Amino acid sequence: MFRNNYDNDVTTFSPTGRIFQVEYALEAIKQGSAAVGMVSKNHVVLVALKRNAEELGSYQKKVIKIDEHLGVALAGLAPDARVLSNFLRQQAMSSKMVFNRPLNLSKAVYSIADKAQENTQSAGGRPYGVGLLIAGIDETGPHLYEFQPSGSVLEYYGTAIGARSQAARTFLEDKYEEFADASKEKLIEYALTALRDTLAQDKELNLYNTTVAVVGKDEPFTIYDDDRVQQWLDLLDSLSNKRHKSSDDENKEEGEEKNEEEEKNEEEEKKNDTEEAEQHDAAQDHPESSHEGDRMDTD
Amino acid sequence: MTSIGTGYDLANSIFSPDGRNFQVEYASKAVENAGTSIGICCKDGVVLATEKVINSKLLVPGKNRRIQSIDRHVGVVYSGLIPDGRHFVNRGRDEARSFKSIYKEPIGLQGLIDRLGYFVQAYTCYNSVRPFGINAIVGGIDSKGPHLFMVEPSGTYWGYYGTATGKGRQSARAELEKLDLPNISAKDAVKEAARIIYLAHEDNKDKDFELEVSWVSKSETNGVHQFVPKELFDEAVKYAEEEQESDEDEDESDEGDEEMA
Amino acid sequence: MNHNPVNWGRPSDDQYGPYNYQIANASNVASQATKNSQNEFPTMHTQQPMITGASVVAVKFNDGVVMATDKLGSYGSLLRLDDLERMIQVGDSTVVGVSGDISDFQYLQRLLDELLIEDNYDMEQSNLKASHVHEYLRGVFYNRRSKMNPLWNACVVAGFDADGEVFLKYVNLLGVSYSSPAIATGFGAYMGVPLLRQKVENEEDVKKLEKEDAIKLVRDCMKVLFYRDARSWDKYDLCVITKSTKKIEFQKGLECEGQSWKFARDISGYGLPQQ
Repeated sequence: MFRNNYDNDVTTFSPTGRIFQVEYALEAIKQGSAAVGMVSKNHVVLVALKRNAEELGSYQKKVIKIDEHLGVALAGLAPDARVLSNFLRQQAMSSKMVFNRPLNLSKAVYSIADKAQENTQSAGGRPYGVGLLIAGIDETGPHLYEFQPSGSVLEYYGTAIGARSQAARTFLEDKYEEFADASKEKLIEYALTALRDTLAQDKELNLYNTTVAVVGKDEPFTIYDDDRVQQWLDLLDSLSNKRHKSSDDENKEEGEEKNEEEEKNEEEEKKNDTEEAEQHDAAQDHPESSHEGDRMDTD
Repeated sequence: MTSIGTGYDLANSIFSPDGRNFQVEYASKAVENAGTSIGICCKDGVVLATEKVINSKLLVPGKNRRIQSIDRHVGVVYSGLIPDGRHFVNRGRDEARSFKSIYKEPIGLQGLIDRLGYFVQAYTCYNSVRPFGINAIVGGIDSKGPHLFMVEPSGTYWGYYGTATGKGRQSARAELEKLDLPNISAKDAVKEAARIIYLAHEDNKDKDFELEVSWVSKSETNGVHQFVPKELFDEAVKYAEEEQESDEDEDESDEGDEEMA
Repeated sequence: MNHNPVNWGRPSDDQYGPYNYQIANASNVASQATKNSQNEFPTMHTQQPMITGASVVAVKFNDGVVMATDKLGSYGSLLRLDDLERMIQVGDSTVVGVSGDISDFQYLQRLLDELLIEDNYDMEQSNLKASHVHEYLRGVFYNRRSKMNPLWNACVVAGFDADGEVFLKYVNLLGVSYSSPAIATGFGAYMGVPLLRQKVENEEDVKKLEKEDAIKLVRDCMKVLFYRDARSWDKYDLCVITKSTKKIEFQKGLECEGQSWKFARDISGYGLPQQ
């Protein structure tokens, strides 16, 4: 197979000015399950799909609380997310300690963005392999940011990261004008609908695999898991992906077909990749992606 | 780029037999396709502007600012890898702070750019790092008046009356050369900057963009670098759009620009 | 127990041996003592302020705060500097009035300036309110005193807090802080505050005090302080922070008006009796 010489380390530019190790790190996000976030005038909502590695194992945490006014959802390498959230918690505490004021959202996100950038410019480490949706409220109101391992941070009305998240983004792009005035309940309903769109054919949202988190002007960052999620799932008319609604396979046992399904996911992902690669200005030297070997577990 | 495959372009800090440092050249490539940024030195100040390419309509308009401040009197705009730009600016802030802590006065522009030049150059010297993937335009006012510089990934910097980088740099530079720099007023410079960014966007037409303009001027901002006020910004955009339309109507409108100034 | 007041607080000679007055010569350079050397003293930092500013006087009124500092910098009893400004404006929400050591005041000035520059990096709306500045200063003072190297000042922080409400709070070289509708540092705490409290005993009274009356009240305090505090001066700056207009306005170089020294004849008990 053709080998790309420019993708061995983070300190090498390709002839078109790209840094492949960083782009590969971005790919790690897509290996994780989806997370969706959106903002209204008064609330920010995060929802995410949890995976369990095996039937008897627990579901991996997808949302981490940072402070009363701030939390993150992750897609990609969960340990990296833990490191970054720990850093954010330190920042939040330091802001309380020094100024007795809650950490400003843009300060928070840029602090980890700048931290991530360092790992893209010097050898001896690797870029972070996780994407984050950072949701919070500060003196300027509610905010939703997306963090990427490249050190890029952008503020969105609503966005999604992780496996098959394009489907969720398509939904959000269709509805984003309605977010601002939406009630908390409506916002969660939208977010869960977007999340549902990322589901594979024979999956559905349930109280075990779904996480909902909300932060509002008068409402501290709250994570809803397990039994507490049911109230939000009840907002939806259906729990399986509407795009696959025609298929009649309900009541399938979870996990059984996991491998098969993951392959399907990957196929679709690759399709997305090539589409996105085409959108790049200079995609000529995009290497063949071959992630067949052992891969780190992602969530 | 005939040397691809010879191996001399695979690591930073390596010369090819003909004396080139390919990794630095490749870093410049990261700049060449990025959104256009420009800087204008005017009568008593500096105006910075950038074309912020918008990749999704879900992005919040007016946020995700790209022009930054190093100190009260110094602004920076850059094209290329945005996170690299932030790293560069953070270093600038450290330099400005350390200068002030020693000399108890704001750092001069020449002194600042000198230090930043060293910093950027250092990233071309070791194979444990890569060069900055940005061209950074640094402008501001000090006791000697307004100054404008641009630093390249090699660490080279030049002083300018007007400069442009990014995808639309060619057409932007052509327009800058037509202006009577540095003798125009700060307000006119803002309007011209808007016009030039709109014009440079023609090279990148398939994508949406947002204009961002900042200025630092003795008379207008009391020597403080800040975004232009909303009224002036709107006026500048209106001017830019009108000029663009008249450009499209009659393919030849260079005189019009000068009358406006 | 030795009942001689001069010896109060001193370790008793019986127990600790005679007091070593040489300790006053301890160096402020970190001790390079070897284990064997017996005569090394511990490191010593600032033991007293040098050039000093006198009282800060501040009082809340129904729509803000009035604060004043005189323009004198004393070197002991010498009138050393006569055109000092001891109030620092920090952004558009905060004024800090500082008394005590002037070089430490200038250091604080630079700290706060740096704080402001960092707050303005993103060129968005400022988020540095008076309550944040106060909390920051409290941390600075407390950390320094915990290193046995205090910044020799007492400050009054006035302005608007994060909710836009009027803010007035004290903090000093020990990191001690409190808030009150009437605050003064230095001699002002003894001779200014009682006058202020005649008008504003508590937050309820604040609602009844008009701006003009508050200004007059503070100006009277400055006059009384000039009468009685030998380290004060009759030229001062005054600052009015108004909530309804969100404005911070300075009146610089005011003088104590309508002075009358008649009362001085009746004062007795100092030095030689006046004939």
